[in-house]
Amino acid sequence: MAKEVYRFSAGERFVHWCHGVAFLLLLFTGLGVLVTVFQPAMNIFGGIQVTRNIHRVVAVLFTLGMIAGFIGKGVGARQMRRWFKDVINFRNDDLAHAKNFGIEFFGGHKPFPPQGKFNGGEKLNSMFTILGTLCIVISGYIMWLAPSGPSLLLQWAYPIHAACALFMTALLIAHLYLGILHPDSNQALKGIFTGWVPAKFAYEHYEKWYNEEAKETIKG
Amino acid sequence: MARKMVFIDTSLCTGCKACSVACKAWNDLPAEKTQRISSYQTQADFTPNTWTYVRFREEYKDNKMRFNMLKLQCFHCADPACMKACSSNAIYKTETGYTLVDKEKCIGCGYCVANCPWGVPKIDEATNKMSKCTGCIDRVESGIKPACAQTCQPGAIHFGDRDEIMPQAQARVAELQLTNPKAHLYGDNLMGGTTYVYLLQDRPDAYGLPLNPTTPISLTLWKDIVHPLGGIAIGASAAAITVGVIVNFVRGNYANRAKIIAESHDEGGK
Repeated sequence: MAKEVYRFSAGERFVHWCHGVAFLLLLFTGLGVLVTVFQPAMNIFGGIQVTRNIHRVVAVLFTLGMIAGFIGKGVGARQMRRWFKDVINFRNDDLAHAKNFGIEFFGGHKPFPPQGKFNGGEKLNSMFTILGTLCIVISGYIMWLAPSGPSLLLQWAYPIHAACALFMTALLIAHLYLGILHPDSNQALKGIFTGWVPAKFAYEHYEKWYNEEAKETIKG
Repeated sequence: MARKMVFIDTSLCTGCKACSVACKAWNDLPAEKTQRISSYQTQADFTPNTWTYVRFREEYKDNKMRFNMLKLQCFHCADPACMKACSSNAIYKTETGYTLVDKEKCIGCGYCVANCPWGVPKIDEATNKMSKCTGCIDRVESGIKPACAQTCQPGAIHFGDRDEIMPQAQARVAELQLTNPKAHLYGDNLMGGTTYVYLLQDRPDAYGLPLNPTTPISLTLWKDIVHPLGGIAIGASAAAITVGVIVNFVRGNYANRAKIIAESHDEGGK
């Protein structure tokens, strides 16, 4: 058994899966309205009127679940707040890592400065996700609740909602690749299920975090 | 079939609202409880069951009052924003120039409602379908006047082939301009040219009409830029990961990975 360090608390994993599962359900149920050709697929869940309602129910659960993840004094909530603060704090070391993204993505390697708990690439992914989530949630509630009629608010909510859905899907495809298919970074996949990742992997990818925090949790 | 046109001459309108009643009778739309909105107006807006109504504006000038009366219905744009916004390809144009909704395809999403510059389409909550003036398509394509034109007492609503009605409309404007320089046509060059064209005796805003109705920029951005760019982004992402898997495989990274993991087990981590 390889040595492992603790990376994601239960609260962080809960928010990740709350977001992930909800995103996939919302994407599927939203496709029927976003792109006409997907309408027949809505019959899987009982037709487009059913999927339009599922979309709203999941949206509410998704919003409440994520907000709940940030509230309180528990370890998970503190870690979520820390994640938010970390990822919006983008520095030169993060940039140096993010610049290597293309090389690492296609299986190459180039040295980069020691990274904190979240490396430059992850910070960018997180920032896009935070921005996209805020925009898609706000525009979605406007589309749902704004009074019917020709208003600028409603008219602008549509392209924003569609843009977020499409670009976040593009981001998700790359995220799934790095998490599942990429031979180096997929070593971390276990972490989002159990919280634990290989110690060697953590040292190689997040040296600063490993030395400052993760080392203390080592097991195995 | 030739493109049709309905010319509404507001200078002849007496505000009797018979058009609204005839519309309900022909299209089998139930009457609704009305109330006084202002002046002689009794309908505030279109509803799923009221496809045409008369808007009244009172204008006072030189101790005289004039009614600006306007019979409103769907304009049947040549280039309709509702059709561009529709999520379900339910809205379509006929070659005769009418904008219609296929109720089988309509899902009641309301995108048309938000994007029509005149606020014409409404969603019928009972059926969850969009509802609006059909131009009496069943009549007009059989060569019969629409119900509103048929019933109009003062003859303010003219129906016919566009080629015939447009010169008449222009001649009528020229005639009125001799005494009222503000007289002009409204609709003939809006939204690609509307099927319903008005003769107005004052500026459009004196009738509560938008001066420059257009397809919202947000709608153009959404359908012509966001959708294709988003599709390209998803395609590019999918292509990149396919290349990523192939390149990693060719570089032997998948084979190495097994080795690295085995080593880290031996070392027991770092």
